Amino acid sequence: MVLEIGAALVAIGAGVAIGFAGLGSGLGQGIAAAGGVGAVAEDKGMFAQGLIFAVLAETQAIYGLLIAILLMLGAGLIGGTPKPISVAAGLAAVGAGAAIGFAGLGSGIGQGITGASSVGAVVEDKDMFAQGLIFAVLSETQAIYGLLVAILIMLGASLLGA
Amino acid sequence: MADGIISIVAQMGFPSIDPLLGLLALVGLIVGAIVIVVVIRPLLDIFPYAYPNARVRARTGKILTEKQLTEIIESNDLTEVTNYLRGLPDYAKYIDQYPLEKALDTHLADNYETLTKIVPKDIKPIFSVLLQKWDIRNIKSIIAAKEADLSREETVNLIVPFGELKDSLDKLLDAKNITEIINGLEGTAYAHVLDEALPAYQKTGMVLPLEASLDKFFLENLLTAASNPSDESARALHSYIGTQIDAANLSIILRAKAEGLMYDDIQPYIISDGYQIREWKLKDLMESESVGNVVSSLDGTEYAQILTDALPEYTKTGSVAPLEAALDEKVRQTAKALSVKIPFGIGPIVGFLSKKEKEIRNLKVITRAKREIGFSNSKIKELLV
Repeated sequence: MVLEIGAALVAIGAGVAIGFAGLGSGLGQGIAAAGGVGAVAEDKGMFAQGLIFAVLAETQAIYGLLIAILLMLGAGLIGGTPKPISVAAGLAAVGAGAAIGFAGLGSGIGQGITGASSVGAVVEDKDMFAQGLIFAVLSETQAIYGLLVAILIMLGASLLGA
Repeated sequence: MADGIISIVAQMGFPSIDPLLGLLALVGLIVGAIVIVVVIRPLLDIFPYAYPNARVRARTGKILTEKQLTEIIESNDLTEVTNYLRGLPDYAKYIDQYPLEKALDTHLADNYETLTKIVPKDIKPIFSVLLQKWDIRNIKSIIAAKEADLSREETVNLIVPFGELKDSLDKLLDAKNITEIINGLEGTAYAHVLDEALPAYQKTGMVLPLEASLDKFFLENLLTAASNPSDESARALHSYIGTQIDAANLSIILRAKAEGLMYDDIQPYIISDGYQIREWKLKDLMESESVGNVVSSLDGTEYAQILTDALPEYTKTGSVAPLEAALDEKVRQTAKALSVKIPFGIGPIVGFLSKKEKEIRNLKVITRAKREIGFSNSKIKELLV
């Protein structure tokens, strides 16, 4: 099997999508989880709340994974033989990957920092849970924009369900 | 369309589209790497504080509220105060183990030791120096106990079981006089510090030179440890410690001036490096004629306004206590400002330390007041910070 340039570009797009989104998600989750561990070390009852704030930053990686899988499916890189993909469509796939990848990177890190801060606020004052959650969820919107744009690019380039 | 792209690629000097795409991929990789470095660098400062800050904020949440403090003040006697604190999990284990004041100090020392263990490694050396506070406190307590001819058991009740010397205090407790205490400290920096102040003690018969030399040694060490700030958090910690040192220097100068002491009397106790108030300014202040002159000489510094505001109270009462209280408040305000300014770094830790120190100070005031007969609750409230 010889991989054409178009399909190779789609593979790069998929890599960028999950790579950067996963990086942001991992860093964000690490920061939030470190805060969660600190909170639990002081108050065992904080486990559930700490986990919720740490898990929030997982979604960016999920979005990246989703786009990566859709790209690979679209190009026939999984579940079939590679389809002929034009160079232009391949570049569009890189764009789609970059959209969710970079949006996920920033969003994940931002959410992690807010999550760690919120865990601190909740362990200091239990009544802060709802407010902390709202602030932490705000960063999610950037990842959703990235996801939306990535899907629109894929639709426009006929990479989705092609 | 395809022909157009091929001709553009050819005009750019590429024989086909493949090398151009390769170049684009390379550029993309470089851009990606730059983005990662730019994004991750600030995180390197934030990440080490996520864990300690969560722990510290949990402890901040357990700081006594105004309502709780009022309930403690309204206790009928010391037993009720003790029982109230026994009901708080943070204090219970110490209350059951030690006399009340020792329990309060031990609780505070335990917090310092925990922080020393959990703070990021960049600022760990500063916290290690902060722990010397308990060694110095213990040495001072033993010296004071010897002077007051207290029994071994009474002296043990003054000792806080923290610091580097905690396992070697027995030798000091058994010492019969100051010289034996210094001998017992052989091999530590404290022996040298006390040795230097010994002639002044022998000349005056007062322990003040010994205590002051230990305090000076501690604060100088602290300032030195904090003097090479590596990042925003370390800079903030330096400013907090520096403000404490300025306040300590000013406090010594103000007291000395209130008692009519001159430059030579004060100079040995001053931390000459200072922070905002540097050596030349300290010299000016020490040479001032009066408390009023010291305050007016501070124009242009952060301490001028707060001391000017407290000056009428000093003039009225003749006591420097209001001026010292203003300086303490300035240190607390600095801590509060840092806790807000650097929420993802050292801020919450500095804020917690300041609040915890204040809590313990207030509880000690209440404890001492409850020992006195006829000390009214309103008078206690006046003494709280």
